Amino acid sequence: MKIISKGDFKSFVNALIMDSSLNVIGVKSKADKFAFGSLESADDLIMDYDVTLLPPKKYFFPQRETLVTYDVAKGFSAKDPVEKKPTVIIGVHPYDIVALLHMDEIFRETKSDPYYFEKRKSSIIIGVNIQKMSKWCFAAHMGCATIDHGYDLMLTDLGNRYAISIGSQKGELLLDKYAKNVQNALARDIQLVGQKKREVIAMTQQKLDFSPELIPELLSKSYEKSAFWEKHSEKCLACGSCVLVCPTCYCFDVKDNPDLSLEQGERVRTWDGCLLEDFAKIASGENFRPTRPTRYRHRYFKKGKYLYDRFGFISCVGCGRCSSNCLPDIANPVNLFNDMYHETKASGVQITPASTPEVNIQTEGNIDYVPRLATIVRKEVMTVYETLFEIKLDDGSELGHAPGQFVEVSVFGIGEAPISISSPPTKKDTFELCVRKLGNVTTKLHTLQVGDKVGIRGPFGKGFDPEALKNKDLLFIAGGLGLAPLRSLFNYVLDNRKDYGKVTLLYGCKEPRELLFTEELLALTKRDDVEYKPTVNWCPENEVWTGNIGVITTLIPQVEFNPETTYAIVCGPPIMYKFVIADLKSRNVHDDHIILSLERRMKCGVGKCGHCQINHVYVCKDGPVFNYSKIKGVPEAL
Amino acid sequence: MKPKVAFFDFAGCEGDQLQIANLEEDLLALLGQVEVVSFREVMKEHSDDYDIAFVEGSCTRLQDEDRLKQIRKNAKIVVAIGSCATIGGINALRNYREIDDAKRIVYGDSANLFDAYTARPIDAIIPVDAYVHGCPIDKDEFLHVVKSLLLGKKPDIPTYPVCVECKKNENICAFERGQFCVGPVTRAGCNSCCINEGTICWGCRGLVDNPNENAQKEVLIKNGLTVDDAIKKFRLYFGWQERRR
Repeated sequence: MKIISKGDFKSFVNALIMDSSLNVIGVKSKADKFAFGSLESADDLIMDYDVTLLPPKKYFFPQRETLVTYDVAKGFSAKDPVEKKPTVIIGVHPYDIVALLHMDEIFRETKSDPYYFEKRKSSIIIGVNIQKMSKWCFAAHMGCATIDHGYDLMLTDLGNRYAISIGSQKGELLLDKYAKNVQNALARDIQLVGQKKREVIAMTQQKLDFSPELIPELLSKSYEKSAFWEKHSEKCLACGSCVLVCPTCYCFDVKDNPDLSLEQGERVRTWDGCLLEDFAKIASGENFRPTRPTRYRHRYFKKGKYLYDRFGFISCVGCGRCSSNCLPDIANPVNLFNDMYHETKASGVQITPASTPEVNIQTEGNIDYVPRLATIVRKEVMTVYETLFEIKLDDGSELGHAPGQFVEVSVFGIGEAPISISSPPTKKDTFELCVRKLGNVTTKLHTLQVGDKVGIRGPFGKGFDPEALKNKDLLFIAGGLGLAPLRSLFNYVLDNRKDYGKVTLLYGCKEPRELLFTEELLALTKRDDVEYKPTVNWCPENEVWTGNIGVITTLIPQVEFNPETTYAIVCGPPIMYKFVIADLKSRNVHDDHIILSLERRMKCGVGKCGHCQINHVYVCKDGPVFNYSKIKGVPEAL
Repeated sequence: MKPKVAFFDFAGCEGDQLQIANLEEDLLALLGQVEVVSFREVMKEHSDDYDIAFVEGSCTRLQDEDRLKQIRKNAKIVVAIGSCATIGGINALRNYREIDDAKRIVYGDSANLFDAYTARPIDAIIPVDAYVHGCPIDKDEFLHVVKSLLLGKKPDIPTYPVCVECKKNENICAFERGQFCVGPVTRAGCNSCCINEGTICWGCRGLVDNPNENAQKEVLIKNGLTVDDAIKKFRLYFGWQERRR
């Protein structure tokens, strides 16, 4: 530990500011509040603040950030490199340092976010121990009021001097280079720092009535208590303030912003929040978390359970910003958790800490936000709303997908949309997307012609495992556009027919004119190694239909299968799953013999943006193909 | 061929068209993409041959309806610009009193010479394809809507309230400054411009689709506003929307 006088510290800060190769940030006053901002003089730096309006994450994950630029003539490129100046942030409270450590884990999981880390890796964090505490702060309860790592330097105010704990070599070098008259700390200084840290704990005005290690388990026991969630969220304005000021919230939206030439533009990501009404809404209009109580509940689960299960930490550091920013005063986690604790205890339920989750965070390379340019080589209108696009990557490479995976398709100036791949991996040079005209991207895509360019990212997600299904009997059940992802596996199976047992396809649409891939399906009727049964919900008078009439489940009793050897592969509109699954189960199909492909709002495709999340599961990364036995306990899934 | 655009005004202050006329260099870039055939504020010529009609102002008289219907007939796309056209605007304040009273207050002895009925947004009369909210409209959002329409895309108009932008801008909440704000129920898209300048949100962009109005009124009253004043806060811009809910 080192010691520096306040006067020398000021010179140190001014020396940093004077160095134009550094971007020096510190806490400054904003009326009677505080905010991190660019420092022009050490005189502006405030170290005895209570809390800043926004956390310092804005320097690594800014409110608005360009990911990709595009030019219709040239394609997509990574944004121009920003100034690579290291950012020195002075005066970060321990809870905000913990929050940054959480963000690091979240942004590096599976694939690392290059935009976050290009700024984060070069940053230098100079923390300061809390001197004044916001009345909303409960960081002490969350174990985040003090910290012994995660910083480069950590200051403690000792009256006329600062004690400096050195947390990294980077911090030490900074001190060597820019600070003068740095002394070694004496034993009494070290003792004094310990005392100051203990004093911080005592400043807490909020009172959590139980140990936070019970939070994950308490939440688990409270998910179904809809009255509880309705009571707490009744006054929710769905304004998103609680999540927008949160130091650990990381959800984002991605949008395209063309310039006035309409030929060039940028793709930007902006902060988003799961409390906002359209957060989980997809192009068809379906909203998977449509009510305030469900969104309100999701926030607490995300912080206290889902991220805990995935990363091993409760993603709340107790800064109290959500509480202080909530106008109806319903966002204070302390109040909610206390109420939950007492209600659960009063009902006689024993609460013991959840077992520590097995955490194994792997990073495999960087996320590539830049789409590859591709060309539409064939366009086949299938119905009024659906068209099949055959696409070839311009760099000549194979997509290399597994059946059931999806790609993010970019249309210049419009945006990006997730589309499942309809062609089997056995088709190598090109791939096919069966696209319904629904949202902006898909509507515009329909106006494109053969030879026109699109952008492709992916393939993404976990698809079907054709190896694991070898020698099994396969019962495909598709509703409407659900045939599109299933076709990638179905055609793969046909291409390798000898490897599989009995193959059956049940396919239902609302009416005959909505049937997809009609010629291909007609050809199936001539094969004796595939059983194909279509159905329509109704047939208008001017159309001809000789097959079954009724919803998809009316076909299930018409087919014979051995539940021991059969795997059912199901995809359709959200409403379809529970009925089909119930019928399959009544025919003794095991849960782990049912494989589903789910649809959600997938923006980033790599488990970061948060939109496709169903409870703790990311559909884009953990799915979209799921084994029913694994997803049946996930309440928001079906 | 460049799409032809025309501007029309009904009951309003023409402040939105003024915003467009003030686009400066963006206006030149915009004129590279569209041909303006009618824009009373900046040109003399007029033509009824147009693809996109931008309509400012509320419908406040029966005879406005015919004109609106004609515009709808002529145009492929109708865009409402400004609060008066999108949500009725402050014109709808008069709907809280008898129309004859309102006429007498405004026109005095000449009240009989003027027609007036319940003030309303233009989508009360004709289908509207796109909205540029605000009083006045925000230049960037106007450009966003125009670019979207030219690209064949549905403009992206926020469904969340102003608080979202206000938090991102790191403003101090108006309530913390002892003021009363309707940002928590007002549709965002203005980049919280008024609060950025140290004032409050008056609600000019109208209510979000599913506002929690009771909770917001409770917040206003809890912070010291009287019930009457809380209601008045809502009436300034939300009058037409509240009546319909």
